[in-house]
Amino acid sequence: MATVVTVTSGKGGVGKTTSSAALAAGLAKAGHRTVVIDFDVGLRNLDLIMGVERRVVFDFVNVISGEATLNQALIQDKRMENLSILAASQTKDKDALSEEGVGQVLDQLADMGFEYIVCDSPAGIERGATMALHFADHAVIVTNPEVSSVRDSDRILGILQSKSKRAKEGGKVQEHLLITRYDPVRVDQGEMLSKEDVCDILAVKLIGVIPESKAVLKASNTGVPVILDEDSDAGKAYSDAVARFLGDDRPLRFVTAKKQGLLSRILGGGD
Amino acid sequence: MTSMPRIRANRYSVMTLEWPKDSGPLDSWLRLQCDKAPALMQEIAIVLKPAMEHTASEISEAVDLLDQLGIGLIGLTGDPQHRTVADELGLAWLSSNNVTVDPDTPEAVSARSPVPDETRNSALVIEGPVRSGVQIYAKDRDLVIIGQVSEGAEIMADGHVHVYGRLRGRVAAGVSGQADAEIFCLTFEPELVSLAGMYCGSDQIPEELWSARVRVGLDGTAQKLTFALMG
Ligand SMILES: Nc1ncnc2c1ncn2[C@@H]1O[C@H](COP(=O)(O)OP(=O)(O)OP(=O)(O)O)[C@@H](O)[C@H]1O
Ligand SMILES: [Mg+2]
Repeated sequence: MATVVTVTSGKGGVGKTTSSAALAAGLAKAGHRTVVIDFDVGLRNLDLIMGVERRVVFDFVNVISGEATLNQALIQDKRMENLSILAASQTKDKDALSEEGVGQVLDQLADMGFEYIVCDSPAGIERGATMALHFADHAVIVTNPEVSSVRDSDRILGILQSKSKRAKEGGKVQEHLLITRYDPVRVDQGEMLSKEDVCDILAVKLIGVIPESKAVLKASNTGVPVILDEDSDAGKAYSDAVARFLGDDRPLRFVTAKKQGLLSRILGGGD
Repeated sequence: MTSMPRIRANRYSVMTLEWPKDSGPLDSWLRLQCDKAPALMQEIAIVLKPAMEHTASEISEAVDLLDQLGIGLIGLTGDPQHRTVADELGLAWLSSNNVTVDPDTPEAVSARSPVPDETRNSALVIEGPVRSGVQIYAKDRDLVIIGQVSEGAEIMADGHVHVYGRLRGRVAAGVSGQADAEIFCLTFEPELVSLAGMYCGSDQIPEELWSARVRVGLDGTAQKLTFALMG
């Protein structure tokens, strides 16, 4: 039985694709056969972040419309043999994602023996996003610590628990909260919501807090999921999040501002 | 056995929209009410009561406006000279006999329990959280929410509303005019509170009640919301 994990947020640009890539690579690294699918038809960029953009021949929509087989479209990661990528189409329109077609592809992936199917949802609440939500067993809600992002996440959670297949069948999609681009200094200055505020508003179990980090941009420029940059703060934070997702209990890291040293305070410097 | 049509006396809850001549533009005021409680405004049945000074064309415009906003207008009431306007617009005319009833008369008692006992249903129980953008309406019954109600969510009932959690969204009890309906809440931080058509925004809620365990009812005149701390 494959587990479908949808990474979603409502608001755009909060770090869904970065997190989908990290989660998929992290699950594969933990030994689980994993596939990550880009649902952002027309704006694909998961393949870039995974570093496979030059290997995309066929995509998700080609498979749904019968123009290619799933085997032809799946791209195997060069770093980890148990990780595959299914890219989004850059040209086809969103309506190509039919519920029936998406369902069939997911069933086929399950039959092929994938344990985790990670779905990178587009922003908003339109077709791509609702399709990614529809089949979810788990949802990772990616939120930035600011009011509009939190509010949109709340709205997505409402849609998830009313429109998803599981909800319609009387069940519940399991929710996980992932706070990204967290900057403890700005939290202390009152410019960002604290992780406590976000948890209090959303009332969803927190699986990770990813710091604002230069390592993320570097990783996406080089096409390596940031979780594989094991020395980076964001990489470590994502590893912790994946471990928590898999049931581990780990303390949060990178959530408090570094204390300024006495000398730098006297000299008026900072970091 | 064939059943025959018959005419029976019945008591429906209808709201009156009182429209004084000197009030500001009806348009912006109504749009504001619809923004505050969209689902509520769609649910209620309304009788428009223009002031005597309003002209036939002003009334006709107001009727169009209500129609545009999707508010269910069933007729006009007020000054008898407007009866012809109602006829022209194809609306019912309701002669107003607004007697203020003494709370102890049998009349008042039935007005206070508008849902007859045989049709009062068991409460609708919802496991929260109720998220932003979600609307829940318990028709002809009480509503019980277990968990939080997010900002941007809207919960409504013809009966009482109970929230066993944090209430940050909009809440309306006695939606069809049941003046005996009440709201009970463990952590009270609502965006908007409405009871039997009386509204109050979060800015009008006494500070000492914010985040507290609160009970909201209507006072004896049914014209004012009353707030009380629960023990
Ligand atoms: N922890 C982080 N620190 C710094 N930058 C980040 C972090 N997470 C994401 N970013 C940056 O934010 C931008 C958006 O990230 P990403 O593409 O993952 O978001 P998205 O939610 O998938 O966006 P969209 O809604 O457009 O699909 C990218 O430029 C990415 O590098
Ligand atoms: Mg994206």
